Amino acid sequence: MKKFRFKWVGIFFLAMVFCGLPILGHQANAQGKPIVIGAPLATAFLYGWDAERAIKLAVEEINAKGGVTVGKEKRPFKVEVMDTRDLEPGVPTSDALLVVEKLILEKNADFIVGGPVRSEAALAAMDLLSKYKKVSILTTGVLTPAYHKRVEAEYDKFKYCFRISGEVGWMVVGEFIPCLMDIKAKYGLNKLFIMIQDVAHARAGGDLVSKLATEKGWEVVGKEIFPTGTTDYSVGLMKAKKENAQVILIWMDMPESSILLKQWFDMKVPALPFGTIISAAEEPGFWKATEGKGEYALGSVVNAGNTPSKATPWTMKFVEAYQKKWKLEPEGYGTSSSYMAVYTLKDAIERAGSLDSDKVVAALEKTDLMGVYGRIKFNPKNHQIIPSVDPNEGAVGTIFQWQAGKRVVVFPPKIAMGEVKLPPWMKK
Amino acid sequence: MDILIYGIINSFSLALMAIGFTLVYGISRLPNFAHGALYVITGFLVWSLIHLLKLNYFISILLALVIMGLVGAAIYRFVLIRVRGMATSEIIATYALGLAILEFLRWGGFKGMTYTLPVFIEGSINIGGIPVDFQRIIVIAIGIVVVTFMWLFTHFNKIGLAFRGMAQDEHAAMMLGIDSDWMAVIAMAMGSILAGLAAIALLPLGNIVVEAGYNVLILSIAVCIVGGLGSWVGAILAAFMIGFLQIITVAYIQSHFQMVVALLTIIVTLILRPSGLFGRQKELEERV
Repeated sequence: MKKFRFKWVGIFFLAMVFCGLPILGHQANAQGKPIVIGAPLATAFLYGWDAERAIKLAVEEINAKGGVTVGKEKRPFKVEVMDTRDLEPGVPTSDALLVVEKLILEKNADFIVGGPVRSEAALAAMDLLSKYKKVSILTTGVLTPAYHKRVEAEYDKFKYCFRISGEVGWMVVGEFIPCLMDIKAKYGLNKLFIMIQDVAHARAGGDLVSKLATEKGWEVVGKEIFPTGTTDYSVGLMKAKKENAQVILIWMDMPESSILLKQWFDMKVPALPFGTIISAAEEPGFWKATEGKGEYALGSVVNAGNTPSKATPWTMKFVEAYQKKWKLEPEGYGTSSSYMAVYTLKDAIERAGSLDSDKVVAALEKTDLMGVYGRIKFNPKNHQIIPSVDPNEGAVGTIFQWQAGKRVVVFPPKIAMGEVKLPPWMKK
Repeated sequence: MDILIYGIINSFSLALMAIGFTLVYGISRLPNFAHGALYVITGFLVWSLIHLLKLNYFISILLALVIMGLVGAAIYRFVLIRVRGMATSEIIATYALGLAILEFLRWGGFKGMTYTLPVFIEGSINIGGIPVDFQRIIVIAIGIVVVTFMWLFTHFNKIGLAFRGMAQDEHAAMMLGIDSDWMAVIAMAMGSILAGLAAIALLPLGNIVVEAGYNVLILSIAVCIVGGLGSWVGAILAAFMIGFLQIITVAYIQSHFQMVVALLTIIVTLILRPSGLFGRQKELEERV
């Protein structure tokens, strides 16, 4: 009986050794105590799961090359992802804050990368990051200018907060309006109809576009605000048609916005759908999902690299690596910025030679890195990435158009891979 | 003209969403808060049968409806039978079940915007200068078929007549030999099939997302409260009332208020006539 027990104990330990072998192999790449990256993300939504995939890809690449040099030792990155659910309707902001706190206290996160994804939650999390002195690099979802304005207003308190992706002020002024002006100049269109989702960022964005477009000679012929979850846009589209709109500006982050584009196609509305924020159209699977009815829809993916382009030498390398690992192209807003956040953090830690938050903050402020979507530099006063339309000068955005099943970059001109096309029923 | 056409389409959409919910409540007094989840799960089920098992679209639909019927029956037989008659427990059990189904789908990777069902017939026609796609006309057709079927079923079929008996007075029906539990099993199965049928008719117009489960539930409740809980004739009239109100709101006020309209009708109904247009369970209290 005793011999029998020993035999089973032996088999158990042998099994454990075999199970442990892959872990040992993994550690051979990057030894030392892991640097924990806490990633609070809304993983059920595009802006969350693409960020998770990109962070994991970057960590895997860095660890495979030996990890991060901290002083004299090499240490691997380790990612802890937790679902904030903050993009789900009805989920309170406090839930996302609990997740951030759990990552810091229970998972012992050294740094926070990714979210929270909803602006309200990210703004509330700033106090938490300040309390625990945790450096955070925001990569997805949050477009509100209030984030970096808060850092600037109370620098000493919020100096741990950085954002490596775009913000709405620049996107409207530096990308959407210039792109609209290009369309106006090329096709002579000047009547705009605005369709937005009933959420704070879309309302503010729609108002800003409306104001600036009017100043630039556009006639805003109507505005419709749709509640989250709307599944029928036909009456709104008919209003646009009646008003002779030539461009429909869409600002929606709800999945049902793909219905809007399907209906637009079926009704042959003679107005170009310009999705400033239109998450439904960002995903590579959008074409198949709409059976090609999304053709001609324009959309912004905030940063270059979220669709294939040749913005920098690193862009296509990233696109190919992402495709190899996840079997699809980078999916949309939050992908390239999350990937770059890990590399930027690595660069800063190595220059700081320490994980000390204040030293890493100082190093991040001096970041100057040619990344996937251009030159990565933070404004040292507000910790917002410096944007540009030239990848050699700063971080570039991307506006693409669905053309023959592909997302073709049409703006900014420096990285464009094609031109805006009008649907056949708009051509005179 | 556009208000008339899209008002009718919207009304039939609401009627399809709500009729399964009201049927179950009308017969067995069970508020099935898992109704929205059953709607969503049908969409994903059809999608999986088409894309994973490579089955024909219409065979997938039939198979999915059969499965939904079995799921509905199983929900009653294994869960609801234990809490029958305890109103709060019924709500908690069905709501928890719905939540569990939706969360399970999310956990299973059914997230994102790329899950769609093909439309039955591609293309659109112009009715009085208003473009309407064929799928929306099919929604109206399915709605008419369902309403007609329900009328015929409850007037000329033995089980349907037993349903009416149960709806009028459960205890009297039981004295006449009608098995209350068996009727509830059939009602849940039919309610689930109707939720599935609504999904099959409406989901090709958009995409299948987990969040739709909550919207469908809210709209179904709105229609049922306005129509009178348990009255499917009331539910259809309420669907038309809310459907047209929503479209008129979009046309003349703002799209933003269309969900508010549905919720407002609940409040107004509860204030003016708590039992709804055709409901009877609170008539006495109202008279008092």
